[in-house]
Amino acid sequence: MPPRDSINELSFPTIADQALSGKPSQMECEVIELFEQFRDPLLRYTLSFGISVHDAEEVVQEVFLSLFRHLQLRRSRKNLRGWIFRVAHNLALKQLYANQRVHARTTSEWTIANEQFDPTPDPEEQLSSTQKRQLLLAVVHALPEADQGCLRLRAEGLRYREIAAVLGMSLGSVSISLTRSLARLIRADGR
Amino acid sequence: MLSEYFHLSDQEMLLAADGELSTRRAAQIHDHLTLCWACRARMAEIEATIVDFARAHRQTLDPQLPPIAGPRALLRARLAERSSNQGSNSWRSLLHFTSATGVAAFLCTAVLIAAVVGGIVIRHSTRRGENSVVATLERGTLPDRSLTPGATRRVTISEVCSMAHEEVVGEVSTSLRQEVFHEYGIVNADPNDYEVDYLITPGLGGVEDIHNLWPEPSTSHIWNAHVKDSLEQRLHEMVCAGKIDLSTAQRDIATDWIAAYKKYFHTDRPPALHSRIRRCSPWQAKAVHC
Repeated sequence: MPPRDSINELSFPTIADQALSGKPSQMECEVIELFEQFRDPLLRYTLSFGISVHDAEEVVQEVFLSLFRHLQLRRSRKNLRGWIFRVAHNLALKQLYANQRVHARTTSEWTIANEQFDPTPDPEEQLSSTQKRQLLLAVVHALPEADQGCLRLRAEGLRYREIAAVLGMSLGSVSISLTRSLARLIRADGR
Repeated sequence: MLSEYFHLSDQEMLLAADGELSTRRAAQIHDHLTLCWACRARMAEIEATIVDFARAHRQTLDPQLPPIAGPRALLRARLAERSSNQGSNSWRSLLHFTSATGVAAFLCTAVLIAAVVGGIVIRHSTRRGENSVVATLERGTLPDRSLTPGATRRVTISEVCSMAHEEVVGEVSTSLRQEVFHEYGIVNADPNDYEVDYLITPGLGGVEDIHNLWPEPSTSHIWNAHVKDSLEQRLHEMVCAGKIDLSTAQRDIATDWIAAYKKYFHTDRPPALHSRIRRCSPWQAKAVHC
């Protein structure tokens, strides 16, 4: 007999009892733990779509409520990280289309890039670092959407297989996309 | 083993750097890099660019990320709400009978329980007048959580407490007020019937955002905007006195402001002074104290 999944062991009277007693269920605790682990990477990823912070927060909340439903229905627990990012990707896109805020894309990262400085003491280093960051971001912005997505997901720690699942691409395409993007960044940096 | 006279492609080097190759192939790449200066230099360029991009990505977006405490509390509340709904549904499914006798027995028991509970409730209501359960059912006194979950900005305690509560409350723009009415499906609203109110007041870090605004009926006799004002004032004072933390205040007022009022004023019913009906224009937000 295969080992029972801890979630599956929660029979309905247990859930009902916990709900009525006001104590968080094991599943709620698990979702909160995953929220703590992935909230910042997800928020960064959804913000990169050019939606507002509040919209991005709401997208992330919706992702974890969907995850809760997903787990309640005892659906697959394989590659939950990929699943979470895929749902976030779809919801962020939906939000972006709903908002029709095309111009927001240029404001979020650029505004911050222009305003933020590294806390290094040397002003020349500060300027150089800021300019370099602006250059990198400009190159990234000029990349096709899919290439930008691959780069950002990789920066959040996703493996190629997970990126492929989130963006609906083949594994080979992810590899080619990342290679192409990095080659452009290297050229832009004049290395 | 790869020949040192051939060079690796960028793709192979990236796959190796990202740990996406088989152990055998990764070992071959490693051996080649040991021997080939050109490929090693290219590999260094790739890795340096990855580091630069990852750093730029984070440094650009991290300053925008609000603290996790508020959103985590909100998610907890939402999960608890859903669990609670599921719990009640589960009990209903437990009471599902398959036989006709079972249904009849269940109905008789239900009628009996309803009669007993109804009698208790009626007696209780008669004794206390408008009880709190009935009062909370005044339509619209609580916002629709799916439309108005609350929204906050990144704010420090010193910022919140540097001004009196009423000074940090701004007026909601006309266009946003109209959006709120539209979202709630209210058409041709009588300005005297609603006030577009903040769920989490700006004095507690709330923002002028559609997710933090709802049309609060001005006609509510008990749980109206005046009562909520009193709660906001109390929470602001408690936060600034260090009696509760800001995220708790935000969470409590966003989850159920009536429950929060009962909790922080230790009463089931606001005094008449708090519930007085406003005479100013309900189209005005809390900026205008009339």
